[in-house]
Amino acid sequence: MMERAMEQLNVQLNRLTRSLRRARTVELPEDNETAVYTLMPMVMADQHRSVSELLLNSKFDVNYAFGRVKRSLLHIAANCGSVECLVLLLKRGANPNYQDISGCTPLHLAARNGQKKCMGKLLEYNADVNICNNEGLTAIHWLAVNGRTELLHDLVQYVSNVDVEDAMGQTALHVACQNGHKTTVLCLLDSGADINRPNVSGATPLYFACSHGQRDTAQILLSRGAKYLADKNGITPLELCVQGGYGETCEILIQHHSRLFQTLIQMTQNDDIKENMLRQVLEHVSQQSDSHYQRILTSLAEVATTNGHKLLSLSSSYEAQMKSLLRIIRIFCHVFRLGPSSPNNGNDMGYNGNKTPRSQVFKGVWSRGVVVPNNEFPTGGTGYRASVASYMEINEEMPLELLWHSLEEWLMLISTELGSNRKNTSSTSSGSEIASLLLKQREVDHPGSRPKLPSLLDPQIIMETEMYAEGEDVISMTANRLSAVIQAFYMCCSCQMPQGMTSPRFIEFVCKHDEVLKCFVTRNPKIIFNHFHFLLECPELMSRFMHIIKGQPFKDRCEWFYEHLLAGQPDSDMVHRPVNENDILLIHRDSIFRSSCEMVSKSTNEKLKQGIAVRFHGEEGMGQGVVREWFDILSNEIINPDYALFTQSADGTTFQPNSNSSVNPDHLNYFRFAGQILGLALYHRQLVNIYFTRSFYKHILGIPVNYQDVSSIDPEYAKNLQWILDNDISDLGLELTFSVETDVFGAMEEVPLKPGGTSILVTQDNKAEYVQLVTELRMTRAIQPQINAFLQGFHTFIPPSLIQLFDEYELELLLSGMPEIDVQDWCRNTEYTSGYDAQEPVIQWFWEVVKSLTQEERILLLQFVTGSSRVPHGGFAYLMGGSGLQKFTVAAVPYTPNLLPTSSTCINMLKLPEYPSQDVLRDRLLVALHCGSYGYTMA
Amino acid sequence: MSETYDFLFKFLVIGSAGTGKSCLLHQFIENKFKQDSNHTIGVEFGSRVVNVGGKTVKLQIWDTAGQERFRSVTRSYYRGAAGALLVYDITSRETYNALTNWLTDARTLASPNIVIILCGNKKDLDADREVTFLEASRFAQENELMFLETSALTGENVEEGFLKCARTILNKIDSGELDPERMGSGIQYGDASLRQLRQPRGTTTQNKQQCNC
Repeated sequence: MMERAMEQLNVQLNRLTRSLRRARTVELPEDNETAVYTLMPMVMADQHRSVSELLLNSKFDVNYAFGRVKRSLLHIAANCGSVECLVLLLKRGANPNYQDISGCTPLHLAARNGQKKCMGKLLEYNADVNICNNEGLTAIHWLAVNGRTELLHDLVQYVSNVDVEDAMGQTALHVACQNGHKTTVLCLLDSGADINRPNVSGATPLYFACSHGQRDTAQILLSRGAKYLADKNGITPLELCVQGGYGETCEILIQHHSRLFQTLIQMTQNDDIKENMLRQVLEHVSQQSDSHYQRILTSLAEVATTNGHKLLSLSSSYEAQMKSLLRIIRIFCHVFRLGPSSPNNGNDMGYNGNKTPRSQVFKGVWSRGVVVPNNEFPTGGTGYRASVASYMEINEEMPLELLWHSLEEWLMLISTELGSNRKNTSSTSSGSEIASLLLKQREVDHPGSRPKLPSLLDPQIIMETEMYAEGEDVISMTANRLSAVIQAFYMCCSCQMPQGMTSPRFIEFVCKHDEVLKCFVTRNPKIIFNHFHFLLECPELMSRFMHIIKGQPFKDRCEWFYEHLLAGQPDSDMVHRPVNENDILLIHRDSIFRSSCEMVSKSTNEKLKQGIAVRFHGEEGMGQGVVREWFDILSNEIINPDYALFTQSADGTTFQPNSNSSVNPDHLNYFRFAGQILGLALYHRQLVNIYFTRSFYKHILGIPVNYQDVSSIDPEYAKNLQWILDNDISDLGLELTFSVETDVFGAMEEVPLKPGGTSILVTQDNKAEYVQLVTELRMTRAIQPQINAFLQGFHTFIPPSLIQLFDEYELELLLSGMPEIDVQDWCRNTEYTSGYDAQEPVIQWFWEVVKSLTQEERILLLQFVTGSSRVPHGGFAYLMGGSGLQKFTVAAVPYTPNLLPTSSTCINMLKLPEYPSQDVLRDRLLVALHCGSYGYTMA
Repeated sequence: MSETYDFLFKFLVIGSAGTGKSCLLHQFIENKFKQDSNHTIGVEFGSRVVNVGGKTVKLQIWDTAGQERFRSVTRSYYRGAAGALLVYDITSRETYNALTNWLTDARTLASPNIVIILCGNKKDLDADREVTFLEASRFAQENELMFLETSALTGENVEEGFLKCARTILNKIDSGELDPERMGSGIQYGDASLRQLRQPRGTTTQNKQQCNC
């Protein structure tokens, strides 16, 4: 008994010492569950001696599965690359094919983690390489996913079927292609993998390589004879490449299957494919060689021509074909602008970024296009003729010329129809009667549209209105379609020109078809906004259409303005652009003017266009609110009398440049800065807190001033000018000459209004010229340097051609925003004169109409009568006139048909004819408001 | 997915006003007679994929206005046409007499190699016939045209007219007489040969109705 007890004690002591020495247990617990957790960390660390020792005398089941996924220790060893433990376990009878809960064998795990040695040992112990896990993946799938080519080499000789499919029918080759593991792909192909094998959805290895843009893999597959197969939905590898924007992969596909080139080009017509991706692909392909470049342009031109012709066939869908055509043309122009990839011979000017003049590239492209003699570029048998052929001749070879030719023919046809209609009508009836009839009818048809009264006075429009009845068929059916083709033509012409220049060919085109184009826009002015973008880029063309453009609603013109203003901006769609700390304008509140000026001049125009971020010194705030505040405070500072830049006008609310601003030596720089701020505010749709005089708005717009504008700075003098004009001055003995005396710092000086003016007498005959010249002297010449400096700054953000879209009243609204107008308050503070009183029906109608006007129209009315869109602080009771408080006044005028309301802005007076009905009143008032803003000729 | 075809041919339908060009096209594409047909304005467009001699061919057909006032517009569409249907009305000698002019136009403006089939339309109105089959076929022979009498109303020979023309072009391609790669040939390769879809071959004929042009 004692001995046995002693013996046991010894054993225990022995274990204790061993355990203590090794700092771990020396005996496995009896139950497998506890034992396996003892062993696991040792296996993971490949402590094979310890494991071996522990296992030696234990009854532990080496295949015991544990944990959530039910793995054996062999899994653990394979997973961690514990090769010694792995061998030990195998020797002790661990099952090499034991599958965990997801069906994975130790071999799967070794393959997945690239445990080369473990994998080798497992294979030695007859691990089955063909076992699939629950998703159907085998060891080679795992190797393929991760591109473990070296291991694959070892494994593949054991594999009975390299094309073993997973649950989705995917083979190892599929996954290797998807991930672009070139050597793995080669290894699989060398081992006999099926290069064209489709998965369950019909996707082949090539399909996978293309869908992920694996260029080299696609190359390998194609050079090994992979077929070009679509999946079961008919999606082709090329489509996948294009959708992903994988230019290089597309190029490989085309190299191997040259007919895909046409397919690629045809995709420009496919609405489902993203334009930017397709453009990216074509851009890449075009840069491969000169012949690629030319071939793409030629083919795009062909597609565009067919598309344009389809657009011109009346039964096609206008929307779809129009969009498609413009899309193809956009892509065409994009590729065209890139230029060919490399200089290829002596007389080629080469492509040096943007240095080569476009016209030269253009000329070069087409001529080289025709001379390329091989099959890649079909020449139509013209061979080398091009070297001697004239430029025009070559030009006619271009497919797009066919479309432009058709366009010309169409416009000529319409012009002929217009001519014959005109003859017909003039011989049958008196034109103006029909015109007014039709006008009435149109007003009935479109009650919401504004009356077209001015057109009654324009003989050409009368003609066109007549044709509305007769030539309706062809013109009204084709106008939209032809206009879209014209837009395409313009885009093509422009892409051959340096930026900002209009192609002479296009200008010639517009001049030639002037009559037809005007007819189009008169019929449907929307065409201007939809298709005639060329107007904005070419002032000389714009002027032809100005009267029609100005007749369009303010809102539409605003939209067009901003659409065009922001068109050139990259990512203008990105609203939240991350702000670079260096681009923040750091402004000191106590020197807001100077510090803003400094910050703005330090930044670049491009950056300021992209977005403005402002932070006030010592403040945290940033964002749109701060920007708004900055514009608000800064615009107040600009008119701060301390800087002497602007002076108040007679009414006390509007401002214009101070003719004596030169007391501030830096004044012209400040004017430029003020112009920049105003331009910038307009660019970013920020409102400023300044109201300028009417004449200064005219200066910004480049509209000539007239004597009435003088009243804003000198109302008494304006009255005198008015008096001269209104009365015969022949016998008054005024002895005026074309000169004025001015006070230049105390000394009176005689300033001639025109050369030799001091000796030219003002007479009844030339008094109008005198008034105009003296007006210009007061309003313009005195502040010309200031205006010029201001405009210089303004135009850095707002092109002059664009701002032309508006008149001086609208410019005020754009810059300073639309005030809320309280009609009740307005009505309460209105006076009546010359026979009107508040009870008069005409007055009742007037206020009914005012209530029914839109906010924009009410402001037009206010501007029309008071010259300003502003309601003074405190409301209409504080409305100012030329000489102090002057309430809004309505005066009666005897009614004659077609008479429009007029106004005297200096006394805030609306002269309202005694209209017979509310409808007529409304009608005439609206005409006056909308037309009045561009010239008072009607009054 | 874009449609699949081996070739694309550009076709014209030309001839005097009122000979039934638009109705022929409508019958060919819709398999229906177009009841209230107006004068065509400018040029109309239609397309259909057909099976000719084992090849799928997409016909891109430009149906031109016959009226004189559109002549200069329609002429600008001739360029690069591979085939044409030259249509006259068997009940109107005037339309028959105009054929020479149309023919000259087609051969000079489209391509000297253009394949033309002469169609004497309105075959169903035999009672009002002003042009005999014999004289028309002689005219066709002299001018190396193929010839058929058609009826857009009943559909008789309409499909044949288009197919015959397409078949002739295909033969010329096979014999090397026509080179599809040549610019302005009016022929384009499709990518059908590359896209062996795992669909039965017959399905392509169903595609013709879903042409998205």
